[in-house]
Amino acid sequence: MADRGWLQDLTSQQRSRRDFLLAAGLLSAGGVLASCSSEPGAGGSPAGTATGTSGAPEESFTTPTRNLSGDLKILLWSHFVPAHDQWFDPFVKQWGDRVGVNVTVDHVNNAEIPARIAAEIQAGQGHDLIQYIATLSQFEPSVLDLKDVTDEANKRWGQQIPLAQKSSQNPATGKYYAYAPGWVPDPGDYRKSLWEPVGFPNGPSTWDELLQGGAEIKTSRGVQMGLGMSQEIDSNMAGRALLWSFGGAIQNEQEQVVVNSPETIAAVEFMTRLFQQTMTNEVFSWNAASNNQGLIAGKLSYILNSISAYRTAQVASPDVAGDVYFVPALKGPKTALAAQHVMYNWIVPSFATNADAAKEFLLHYTENFASATYHSQLYDFPAWDKLVPQLDGWLANDPFGSKPSDKLAFLSKARDWSTNIGHPGPSNTAIGEVFGTFVIPNMFARAARGQQTPQQTVGQAEKEIKNIFDKWRSRGLVGG
Amino acid sequence: MAHTIASPPRAGAADTSRVKGGRRGRVTDSESALAWIFLLPSVVYIIALVAVPFFLAIAFSLSDVTAGDPSYDWAGLAAFRRAFADPVFWRSLWNTLIFTGISMALIIVLGKVLANILVADFRGKWVVRFLVLLPWTTPVALSTVSWLWLLDSIYSPIDWLLRNAGVIQGNMYWLGQPKLAMASVIAVHVWRLTPLAAVIMMAGLLAVPQDINEAARVDGAGFWRRMFEVTIPLTLPVIGVAGLFGAILTFTDMTVVYVLTRGGPTNSTQVLASWAFIRGIEGGDVAQGAAIALFLFPLLLAAAVLILRAVRRMEIT
Repeated sequence: MADRGWLQDLTSQQRSRRDFLLAAGLLSAGGVLASCSSEPGAGGSPAGTATGTSGAPEESFTTPTRNLSGDLKILLWSHFVPAHDQWFDPFVKQWGDRVGVNVTVDHVNNAEIPARIAAEIQAGQGHDLIQYIATLSQFEPSVLDLKDVTDEANKRWGQQIPLAQKSSQNPATGKYYAYAPGWVPDPGDYRKSLWEPVGFPNGPSTWDELLQGGAEIKTSRGVQMGLGMSQEIDSNMAGRALLWSFGGAIQNEQEQVVVNSPETIAAVEFMTRLFQQTMTNEVFSWNAASNNQGLIAGKLSYILNSISAYRTAQVASPDVAGDVYFVPALKGPKTALAAQHVMYNWIVPSFATNADAAKEFLLHYTENFASATYHSQLYDFPAWDKLVPQLDGWLANDPFGSKPSDKLAFLSKARDWSTNIGHPGPSNTAIGEVFGTFVIPNMFARAARGQQTPQQTVGQAEKEIKNIFDKWRSRGLVGG
Repeated sequence: MAHTIASPPRAGAADTSRVKGGRRGRVTDSESALAWIFLLPSVVYIIALVAVPFFLAIAFSLSDVTAGDPSYDWAGLAAFRRAFADPVFWRSLWNTLIFTGISMALIIVLGKVLANILVADFRGKWVVRFLVLLPWTTPVALSTVSWLWLLDSIYSPIDWLLRNAGVIQGNMYWLGQPKLAMASVIAVHVWRLTPLAAVIMMAGLLAVPQDINEAARVDGAGFWRRMFEVTIPLTLPVIGVAGLFGAILTFTDMTVVYVLTRGGPTNSTQVLASWAFIRGIEGGDVAQGAAIALFLFPLLLAAAVLILRAVRRMEIT
C-alpha cells in the first residue's frame, strides 16, 4: 500500500508536472494565437473593434407551431463578411437541436448557386432550403409558394418593405417564389483625400458632380474612377442606378419594355462622357471583386459598392479605410436611385422533403435578424423595420471601428434611395434573365467604347430585352 | 479452435466443375466474346457520358425546358430561331472558329519546335520534359485563374515587367480591350495545349528510322531540307493528330473564356460553349442553351472523322 501510495504520489507529481507543461504550452500557444488574432486581418474584424459576441443582440426563440423532425439541408452563399458565417452555422445548429431537426449547412461561392439550383431542380433532389443574393424569379415554376411565411412575418413584424416584396413576389401569378428577409444597400464609396482638393469634401452628390470631380482628379492626380461596364453583378447595379436617375427604365410598372427612350439615350451619352473623362479600359474587364481591389489598392477615386470593400480595407489597409467615405445614390436629372446591392432570396424547391422545417427556420432566422445584421458587421439590412431597432444606433456609432464613428450614419436613410432591379416594376423572370445575360452593362459599354452610337446601342438592347420579355410572357410569368 | 474439414467431393461434382470449366474455357477462348467483354466498359462509358447527354441536348433544344421548369413540352425549332436572332450567337460562332483556327496553327508550329528540342540529347532532358508538361497537367480552371492574375488590370506582373523595361507607361488592360482580350484567350489556349502536341509529335519523331535521316545527311541535305522533306512528311499523320486534339480541346472549352473574361468586353470573346452556359443556366433558357451547344457537334464530328482517317493512314504506312 505504502509503495502504491508512493507510486501514486509520484505519478500524480508527474501528471502535475506534465499538466503544468501542457498548460504552459497551451497558454503560450493561446498567447501566440491571441496576438495573431489581434493583428489586422487575422480575425476578420477591424482592429480595436467589437469582436465575438460582445455587443451582439440577444437571440430569441419562438416555439414552432408544428411538430418538426427529420433532416433539413440548407444551401447558401459564403458571406462576403466571414464573421456572418461563423455566427450563422452554430445558430442553425442550436435551432435544430432545440426543435429536433438535424440540420446540414453547405456554403458555396455565390456565383455557383444558380447553376446548382438548376441542377438540383433537373435532378429532382437536393437541398430543402436555398439562399441566393439576387432574385430567383426564374425558378418560380419549381419552388413552393412562400406566401404563408411572408404573411406570418407581416403579422409578426409589420409590413415588409416594398423593395423586398417586389423582389420576391410575381404580380402576374401572385406567387411568392421566394422569401426576402433582408437586403444590402449600394452606396458610392469615395476617397476623401482626392475629392477634397477638387472642391467636393463631402464627395459628389449628383452625377454631374461625379463627372466634374472625377475628371479633375484623373487629370490632376492620375487616379481614375471605377463604374464597371463588364459582365458582372456590380456593373449591372451601376448601369441601373444611372439609368433610373436619368428617368429611364427597362420596364414600366405594367411590365412593358420601355428601355428605348430619350432618357435612356441621355444616360448612355452621359456614361460615354463619364468613361472618356474619368475612367480607363479596365472597367470592361472587371469581375465582381475588381472594384473592391482597386479601392483597397488606392487606385480608384470612386466606386459603387456595398460597405464590404470598406470593411476589407479596415483590416487590410487601415489608411485607405480611413480615407474612404460614402455618399447615397447620386442625383440625376430626374431622381436619385440605386439598385439594392444584394437581395436575399430564400427558396424552398418543390422537391424539398422537409418544407415545414424550412419555413419554421425562416421565421426563426427572421426573428433574429438583428444578429445577422450585427455579425455581418452592418452589411445585412432587414426587410422589416421592427426587426433591428438597434440599427440606427449602430450606424450612428459603428461598433466595428469606423473613424469617425458616424461614418455609416447616412445608411439609416438607404431605403429612400434604394430600389429593386426591376424598378418601377417587379423583379420578374424576364428582368432576371436581362440581369443574368448582362444586357444593360453591355448597352453602356458599346457606346462608351465607341462601337455604336447611343441610339444604336439602346436599339440593340431593346431588341434583346423584348425577345426575353416575349418569351417569358408567353409562359404567363410576366404581365403587361 | 475451429477446424474446417473439407468435405469429400460428391459424385458428379467433378463433372459439373469440368463442365463449368469447359464453359469458361470456351468463353475465354472465344475472341468475339472477349472482345465484347473488354469493350463493354468503354461502351457503357460512352453511352452514359456522351450519347445520353447528346440526345438529351437534342431533346432539350426542341422543347421549352427552362432552368426553373424541367417539364418537357415540344416547342419545335423555337429555341433555334431565338438563338439565330441573337447577334451574340453569330459572334460566338465566329469567335469559336477564329480561336480554334489560330490556336491550332500556333499549337502545331510551337509543338513541333518544342518536340524537336525535347528529342535532342542534352543534360537535364528529363527535368525539361517534366516542366514542359506542367501546363498540360495543371487543371485548366486553376491555370486560368493564374492567368487572370497575370493579366489583372491593376496587379499584372506582365505589365510590371513591361513598365520596368520601359516598353509601356501605364497598364495594358489585357482583358479590357476586345483585340487584346481575344489575343489573351488564344495565348492561354496555346500555352496549355502546346505541351500535349509536343509530346505527341515527340513520339512521332522518335519513331522515324534514324537511317533515313542519316542517308539524307550523307547525301548532303541540310537541317531545313531534312526537316521539310524527310521528318515532316514522315510524321505528318502524327502532326495531324496533335493538331486535331488541340482543335477539339480549344473548340469545346468554356473555362478559359469564362474565367478570364466571361465573354467580355461586350461579348467580344464569347464562344459557343460559354454563351450556351450563360444563356442556358445563368439566363435560365435551357432550350436555347442546348440549341447553341449543339452547334459544336458538326465540327466535332468532322474532327473525329479526320482523326480516324489519319490514324488509319498511319496504320497503312
